[in-house]
Amino acid sequence: MRDALFAFFGSGAPVAMAAAVVALAGSVVFLRTRNFLYDALALAATKTGFAMLAAALAAGVLWSRTAAGIWWTWDTRLTTALVCGLVYAAYLMLRCAIEEPTERATSAAVVSVFAFLDVPLAAISIAWWRARRTLPPEAAPPGWSTLASWNALAMLLVAAALTVILLRREERRRARDAERRAALTL
Amino acid sequence: MHYFRQVAVVAFKDLRAELRTKEAINASLAFSIVILLLFSFAFDPSEETMREISGGLLWIVFAFAGTLMLNRSFARELPNDCLDALIAAPLPASALFLGKCLANYVLVLAVELVSLPVFGIFYNVHWARQFPELLLVLLLGTWALTIIGTIFSALTVNIKLREVMLPMLTYPILIPALMSAMQLTTALVGGTPIGADNVDSLKMLIGFDIVFTAVSLVLVETVLVG
Repeated sequence: MRDALFAFFGSGAPVAMAAAVVALAGSVVFLRTRNFLYDALALAATKTGFAMLAAALAAGVLWSRTAAGIWWTWDTRLTTALVCGLVYAAYLMLRCAIEEPTERATSAAVVSVFAFLDVPLAAISIAWWRARRTLPPEAAPPGWSTLASWNALAMLLVAAALTVILLRREERRRARDAERRAALTL
Repeated sequence: MHYFRQVAVVAFKDLRAELRTKEAINASLAFSIVILLLFSFAFDPSEETMREISGGLLWIVFAFAGTLMLNRSFARELPNDCLDALIAAPLPASALFLGKCLANYVLVLAVELVSLPVFGIFYNVHWARQFPELLLVLLLGTWALTIIGTIFSALTVNIKLREVMLPMLTYPILIPALMSAMQLTTALVGGTPIGADNVDSLKMLIGFDIVFTAVSLVLVETVLVG
């Protein structure tokens, strides 16, 4: 039961990677075309990926507590997930801090590009760092890979549905904002 | 060559402005000395502990003191619409960015080179055993800190929560560079030269510098002009 729960939520991490790729694509296309639909796509993908990553982190913490007895083993995947989560959390915070829509979309797109480039570098650094220290060996539930792949596929479909919902919501919010600005200027 | 002259003009302008008032460099130096002092109160430094944590401690001090300086680099241009004047000036945005990066680089390096002897004095560490290689690691790591800090300083210059957003953006993205620099510095301060087990971290530092310098130079026009 515990292993099944861990496989279900822990497979959020590869889905978060896919979401990061979608967010990068959205950001780059936005910077080229300045079409706000792609900015909304980047935001939706980042929010979904971040939620998946948070679920994966919670699953990892709970699993390491029940299996290894400590709350945070400096497991490579867990630490990489935390670092990537922090990077994308900064993206989401930046979006909240800028009011003006065009400036917000442009700055957020730039940060998204930087964030995506940082992910592989961080993953490699953490793997090397871990190899240097003497730490408990990484453990995963038995039968992990087959369970994880099917769960990852399921989570991918859930994430795709969530992204579309968030995209529609962001588009509606933007349309409402545009109407409000037009009404204020009249 | 005209491009590099423009870069030099911006760099010398910033350096001259900073060295005349010395506000940021004094604050940065004082901050780094205070952090070194606080860490010496935090635990009892024995010989082995010091050798293990020297890299981590030094780079935390450099990152925090450096961010103090980098925050000001574009924020200094806000009064009197100087930033608009610079953006409207007939020089490419990447030249403006590179000039500011170079000025920040020199200033942060100066703070670091003063903090190193202070570290040696407070913690009784012989840090100069592998000094040329330590200097190389300092140069590469400080360039990583400067490039990321300056591009995000340009990005956050007009935000009302600028002082909060800049560290929040910079530190997570700097994690690969900081980890490599910390590992190399710990080894070098401890006396072991850069060998087969350390050269990976050096390659990571160089790769990080190249990738993010390229991306910043491409994207700075978008950031500044919009």
